[in-house]
Amino acid sequence: MSAVQVAVTGLGVVSPHGDDAGAMFDALMRGESAVQPVFPELPRPTAAALAPFDASRWFTKLQLAGVDRVSQFAVAAAELAVQDAGALGDADPERIGVYAGCGMGGAAALEAAYRSANARVPPLTIPAFMPNAAAAQVAMRRQAQGPVLTYSVACASSGVAIAEAAKAVQRGEVDIAIAGGSEALVVPGVVLAWQAMQTLAAFAPGEAARAVRPFASDRNGFALGEGAAFVVLESAERARSRGARAYAQLAGWGIGCDATHLTKPDAPGQARALRAALRTAGLAPRDVAYCNAHGTATRIGDVVERSALAQVWGEAALDDLQVSSTKALHGHLLGAAGALEAVITVLALHRQQLPPNANGTDIDPECRLNLVPAQGAAAPRLEAAISNSFAFGGTNSVLLFRRA
Amino acid sequence: MSSLKELQDLIQEKYGLDPAALDPHASMRDKGFDSLALVEFVFAVEDHFKISMPDQDTNIDTLAELAAVVDRILAAQAAPAQAK
Repeated sequence: MSAVQVAVTGLGVVSPHGDDAGAMFDALMRGESAVQPVFPELPRPTAAALAPFDASRWFTKLQLAGVDRVSQFAVAAAELAVQDAGALGDADPERIGVYAGCGMGGAAALEAAYRSANARVPPLTIPAFMPNAAAAQVAMRRQAQGPVLTYSVACASSGVAIAEAAKAVQRGEVDIAIAGGSEALVVPGVVLAWQAMQTLAAFAPGEAARAVRPFASDRNGFALGEGAAFVVLESAERARSRGARAYAQLAGWGIGCDATHLTKPDAPGQARALRAALRTAGLAPRDVAYCNAHGTATRIGDVVERSALAQVWGEAALDDLQVSSTKALHGHLLGAAGALEAVITVLALHRQQLPPNANGTDIDPECRLNLVPAQGAAAPRLEAAISNSFAFGGTNSVLLFRRA
Repeated sequence: MSSLKELQDLIQEKYGLDPAALDPHASMRDKGFDSLALVEFVFAVEDHFKISMPDQDTNIDTLAELAAVVDRILAAQAAPAQAK
């Protein structure tokens, strides 16, 4: 018996470029950066990509009791994905699963608790903050009564969540998987913690939009981003039988751990995840022509990712793989990064267009890759693409999508 | 004086619910106040009236019942002052 094919039938985002996935992709193709200065009161200048969001579109004020911004994003993005999938047909609630990535949980709720007036901590801080709240809110909204799971694997959280969802669809454990992730931690306390880690990009006044320069010689870190992205996964057979449009097939996934260092990336570990994704999909490196890179624009991270790609593709074939890190434009969504970038990768396949590797005018020789130019690129023969997510903790996740 | 009117105003301000839409003698749960929303509202009530609600009154079901508890606490706080 051949393996069940997993189809992507719905896309939903709440992104720094808005909540219309197609319009977001258009903005990325135009090279529009959503990175902007935030929190001028902090001692050091900080840039981040905030998601424009109107909670009242999705919740009454009464429904917002104990619902952190991170969960609000998740509900909206998951609802948009389900709507985009054309409803779920006659899916049995017990056979609908939610697979959600989240790195931190409700940062705003925790920050508000620390800063609460007269030490009066809001009583719903815990249910608002707990990292699985977002998945639970999606489940309640959609009446998903199957597995409702949260994957907290730092920057690989939602890449892992989508891979796990695909496995559940393939094994026949669920008919529908609502899979993705959300993150909303752009609050002063968390920003200060990331600054202390020395990973955020510094920038000159007026230059925030260009602060993140993946693979460039003058790169110096990333900008935090916030938002959520979800996809609807179901078997290709189910999608066909209900007449649903399939954007792409989720054909492969690779998950593994460096097991070497808590924060330092490791090329052999990343290469193992890349090979595993190719193996699951039954493809060779030459079959894959686009990579949406993890590309956080840190000094070490970009070199290591380039090295991992070179180990798997080989130096010669690497020139045929076009690469971009869209984090230059939408920031690093951490626990939601894998899902947002999976949506971008799916749209690249669907539209046969590659979003640019922005802000990379002077490429670091150590990061020499076939980077997508600033104006983007047409890719009329694109058949397969990968999306990389590499986490603190050493877990690496690679998703491989094929044309439907 | 009953705190009912102030509670109705607080609900309108916080949740946008018109007083006419919430019968003081109807179950608040039926109007969308689940146990979590009620906990959050009671917290706001404490802030507003500068009182502390006893834990055993968390099974309050109607706005009139809530107003009665608030009235009782306010009266108890006022009593010692009057006795001076």
